[in-house]
Amino acid sequence: MRTAAMPVPVDRQPPTDDVREGLARNAVSFPDGIPGFEACRHFVLLTSDALAPLQRIESIEGPPAAFLGIDPRLVLEGYRGSLSATDLRALEADAETTLLWFAIISESEGVLYANLRAPIVINPQRMVGRQVLPDDGLYPIRHPLTTKA
Amino acid sequence: MLVFTRRRQEAIRIGDRIEVRVLRVGRDGVRIGITAPPDVPVHREEIYEEIRQANRAAVAPQVDLTALAERLRQP
Repeated sequence: MRTAAMPVPVDRQPPTDDVREGLARNAVSFPDGIPGFEACRHFVLLTSDALAPLQRIESIEGPPAAFLGIDPRLVLEGYRGSLSATDLRALEADAETTLLWFAIISESEGVLYANLRAPIVINPQRMVGRQVLPDDGLYPIRHPLTTKA
Repeated sequence: MLVFTRRRQEAIRIGDRIEVRVLRVGRDGVRIGITAPPDVPVHREEIYEEIRQANRAAVAPQVDLTALAERLRQP
């Protein structure tokens, strides 16, 4: 079924079955979950001109959960995230796979921060994602988000 | 909670794939070695909790369904 002419609700009405199906087709699965959003295993990535370069990452199941992410390389020049063999296996990826990286943006007392320590990494070919939780603290969990991004 | 007394170099097995071994016992800390398959995530609790807290503080942006609409219009 094509989704081309499908009407889309413009308010927060519960999605129709058609919309639900469209979302499920575009969903990225997070088999290990995301800490703090334990009830959610499937998320969609939403982009808009208005939000760019931010990306909205929204759960399509469980309690409502949505957050904003940004490519960490836009936040910190020279950012180099590393993935363990376990991460790569979970992402069904190898060293050659092009992956999407998102630092989750958080807010505390009016200041926005990007989590460079534990990025969300997505393999778009397999539509599988994972939050990388490194034990060593090379990058901060709360890196102030400058206007540069 | 299951509670065991273990001496240095003694271990506990959880299922047939996970082993938790006491490597060293000091005054203020215990050094523990964990052997687990790669698909079992193992983290220090405080690190996991710190990241969990940061996730919970994630900005929940205003709902923008025009983006959702655009995405769904793609063939």
